[in-house]
Amino acid sequence: MVTLMHHFTKCFAAVVVLTSVCAAAEIQSRLDRESVPAGNGAILTIRIEGRADQPVIPPVPNLIVNSRGQSTQMQMVNGMTSVSTTYTYAVGSNMPGDYIIPAIEATVGGQKVATQPLKLKVLDSGAAQPPAGIAPTPPGMPQPSVEEEQDTGEKRFGFLTVELADSERSHVYVGEIAPVRIRAWLPADSRANLRSGIQPEAKAFTLHNVSGQPQQTQEMRDGKRYLVVTWFGGISATKAGKFPASLSVNATVAVRDSAAPQQPRRKMGGPFDDPFFDSVFDQMNIPMIQKDVTLKSDDQEIEVRPLPTEGRPAGFTGAVGEFKLDRAEISNDWKTGEPQQITAQLSGSGNFALMNAPALTPADAWKTYPGKDQFSASDQASFSGSKLFQFSAVPRKSGSQDVSLAFSYFDPAKEAYETINSPVKKIQVTGQDLVEVEAAAAPVVKEPEKKLAGLVGQHMELSRTGSLVPLVARPEFVRMLVLSGALALLGSVLAGLRTYRSNPQRLASVALEKATRNALDAAGKSAAAGDVAGYFAAARLALQQQLGGLWNQPAQAITLAEVQARIAEDSPVACFFREADLYEYSRQGTGEILPRWRTLFDEAMASFNPPTR
Amino acid sequence: MNPSILLVLLWLCLGAHSAFATPLEEANQLFKSADFAGAAAAYETILDQDGPRASVYFNLGNSYQSLEKYGPAILAYERALFLSPRDPDLLANLALARKAVAVVEDTAIHPCLDAVVRYLSRNEWSWIVAGAAMFLGGLGLACGIVKLPRKFAISAAALAALVLMFSAGVLYLRKGESSHGVVLSKNAAVRLSPFEKAESLGTAGQGRVVRMGAKRGNFQYVEVPGSSLQGWLDAKDIAAISQEIQ
Repeated sequence: MVTLMHHFTKCFAAVVVLTSVCAAAEIQSRLDRESVPAGNGAILTIRIEGRADQPVIPPVPNLIVNSRGQSTQMQMVNGMTSVSTTYTYAVGSNMPGDYIIPAIEATVGGQKVATQPLKLKVLDSGAAQPPAGIAPTPPGMPQPSVEEEQDTGEKRFGFLTVELADSERSHVYVGEIAPVRIRAWLPADSRANLRSGIQPEAKAFTLHNVSGQPQQTQEMRDGKRYLVVTWFGGISATKAGKFPASLSVNATVAVRDSAAPQQPRRKMGGPFDDPFFDSVFDQMNIPMIQKDVTLKSDDQEIEVRPLPTEGRPAGFTGAVGEFKLDRAEISNDWKTGEPQQITAQLSGSGNFALMNAPALTPADAWKTYPGKDQFSASDQASFSGSKLFQFSAVPRKSGSQDVSLAFSYFDPAKEAYETINSPVKKIQVTGQDLVEVEAAAAPVVKEPEKKLAGLVGQHMELSRTGSLVPLVARPEFVRMLVLSGALALLGSVLAGLRTYRSNPQRLASVALEKATRNALDAAGKSAAAGDVAGYFAAARLALQQQLGGLWNQPAQAITLAEVQARIAEDSPVACFFREADLYEYSRQGTGEILPRWRTLFDEAMASFNPPTR
Repeated sequence: MNPSILLVLLWLCLGAHSAFATPLEEANQLFKSADFAGAAAAYETILDQDGPRASVYFNLGNSYQSLEKYGPAILAYERALFLSPRDPDLLANLALARKAVAVVEDTAIHPCLDAVVRYLSRNEWSWIVAGAAMFLGGLGLACGIVKLPRKFAISAAALAALVLMFSAGVLYLRKGESSHGVVLSKNAAVRLSPFEKAESLGTAGQGRVVRMGAKRGNFQYVEVPGSSLQGWLDAKDIAAISQEIQ
């Protein structure tokens, strides 16, 4: 009973709510001011009591109407519930004049309601007009400062800064890879998704080895909180001068639309009604706008200085940085004209990509060849690390020599060239001094029968035509593998078939079935001829064959004793065996096949084939 | 006999001999007369007309080596080696060309195993894989048709499977060779980007065997084995050894 009352109360309350909601249908519109300067706007508020779709404002020539959102309120007073929706628009025009906003209609609970037409006077402001489609600045809001204008432009979505990692330096040298810190400043409450890597905007600088995993921090700048994403990399320039180090990155950034009108927060009577929370909740209420933007750095100029020509070592090949020679391996014994490998390792920081191997000194005693190298970075931006060089050299002069490896570089910190040498090593070179081919200035005369030393002569016979595409890369290879697989599969099928056909158990089973069938035929014929002895002999043979198949014994070995020992004495098989023996030993039969013998035999045979369902 | 008739006959014989000289003989004759550039062009023509032949590539390599064009010479030898991997003349001349430009080829695997793996060309190893697979397939079919001795069948199948697996393993180890190319020019610059004015990262070295990657415009991405040098090389400065990538 209590439950029934409870349900009734619920239904009643619902009916009351629906009735009361539907009953209130009213629409009101209001402009917050009657006149605005051209290019600015007034706030149009449309309040609809009851549930309705968003009203459509009839178009008025030259009048710009931009939606600024909506809010819904629901109140219950003395059991009466009211729902009201407030739609807010910014209305203005770039053309001065008197405008009439026509009656705005809405359908509330199936009932059409309309507002009164409103007048708006647009004054000639003489100010710059915003482009069509852009919402004019709502009245009542302070005129934006220059900084805020930037804030409402592209920069509101963030920007980049580029600075040399060494804060004490304001210049780089040609060929130097100067470490830089690249930072993307994004509004703290924004959501950003980078769509590209960092790209140089100008051609003066090349960007190297930008770190793959940027760091993220929260920082304050000009009184605002930003989410700062920091990369490290290096920039280098190939010519001297002052160039802007402009970088950019493509991103999709979502920021809160501070231009959207803020609705007053409803007080719910809870602890959060404290004004302390107003800024927090107001911030959460502001809608977000998302945009694909290109974050750019300011065109901060970096001076690129040329490498000084004064004091440049002869062996300088363009390395700029700070390096040291870790390792130099030179063999003790050499032979003129025979190349051997030399190993050297340099470490430090700088432009490893442009670094060449150290030179052998004295240079005129050697001929060196480009070799291989391996760079191992020791920081994320590959700015510092070590590089291992392995190259071949051929001694030109014989005898005892003092050799060392020399490496020259420009140190931007010291602003001077440096040359580092490995410890001098005494080596022994055998053989004869090589004669410089270049030194022979005699005119080149084509000599017949010229033959390089050691070169094996021409082949006179044509070898067979081949292919420069190996079989493994040709379609025939796959076809051959598929064919071999198919052959193996066919063989397996044939082998399985052969095994099945020659299975001795299957053959024995077939023979047993055949023998049993023959015995049954013989029993049937004996019965028809009245040959009782023949009938019993044939019938017993059929049973013996069935039992022999089951017990894996020869049919002749199955006797009454064997049967009685293995199966129940009252079973049809045992009974028939007894009857057969009785007839055979006593010969008391009348010459006719008794029906009970036939029944017994049928039951005995049926016991071998259990009935199927 | 009239002497003039004899002269005519002699001239005809010489002319006929000249007329029936094979292109290879003509190219070899050019080489013998030290016209190495002409010989190289003649060998290239033979290769264009007849297809790849180890002997012609060998002779072409000799021509380039005589011209001291070691990059094209090593390329020709490498191609000849692709077709005839055990030719001692070829190995000797290739070693000579490599020595001239101080190119030392790395052995990516153990030297002993490397000797075994490289004893046959990739094409020959492919044929062994295919042959072993076909033998296994045929053996399976034979076992299905007739009753082979069990021990024989198992032994033969195991042996073929072993050969197949080893050969396939060798092909796997050498799969990187499909992208090998030879640097043809002496000062071929490896650049940071596929543009002529892009920053040079260094030179790859004439005759050096490099790994070839993507091609963009007139530039080919290369990686120099055994070094950190990788970048874009002008396509005219490099040629692939095999024709698996074009």
